[in-house]
Amino acid sequence: MNRVVAHLLARLYPRAWRERYGVEFEALLQNGRGDLRTSANVLWSALGEHIVPTRGGNMDQPANSFGAIIKRPSAFLPLAMSLTALAMVLGYVARYGVVHETDEGTVAHLWQLLMAGQMPIVAFFAIKWLPRSPKQTLHVLALHAGAALASMAPVFFLNL
Amino acid sequence: MIEDIAGLCGTRLGPGTLYGAIARLEQQGWIEPLPPDERRRPYRITGEGLHVLRAKLTTLQQFTKAGLRRLEAL
Repeated sequence: MNRVVAHLLARLYPRAWRERYGVEFEALLQNGRGDLRTSANVLWSALGEHIVPTRGGNMDQPANSFGAIIKRPSAFLPLAMSLTALAMVLGYVARYGVVHETDEGTVAHLWQLLMAGQMPIVAFFAIKWLPRSPKQTLHVLALHAGAALASMAPVFFLNL
Repeated sequence: MIEDIAGLCGTRLGPGTLYGAIARLEQQGWIEPLPPDERRRPYRITGEGLHVLRAKLTTLQQFTKAGLRRLEAL
């Protein structure tokens, strides 16, 4: 098969697949037949790889990638806590309206616990992951900050 | 490998099908890559792969024997 056609056909596969098998696959294509049936077979297989990617072993994402880091409990728990706190505040406002009370209610206490409780988790996450993977960790920390600010915004803007 | 499979089974696999199978077998840990020979990459079966293949072939052999026995009885 023509070298350029083999390269173009190999490019149809997802990046992760190409990084693992691309070179040897192109070599196989170049040594094989260049007919329409072969091209259709590669096209169909590449489409299948996009729909159901090969997982496990060497195809797993690197341990320090953003996708792998965000799945760590210390990365997603603070996000979940901030979003839960935000949902609680919005749910309260939607149900009772903006009420200014001298005594803080259950929702306010839970909000404080969720926001304060995530601080040690965020600190643990930063200490553990910043030295290993600074860029990806900063992205996750930015998400933490964004979620925390989103949760604080209604409290401050509505003077709750 | 494509020629070998064609000679063995009479079916010619396309390169996409072959590499789909290679990727799955490797991710299962049933084959492993050897150091590349220029741009080509040889593979070999692993110990676990041998165990699985032996079990599959044994099942297939029993199935074939039983099938042929029933055919002879007809």
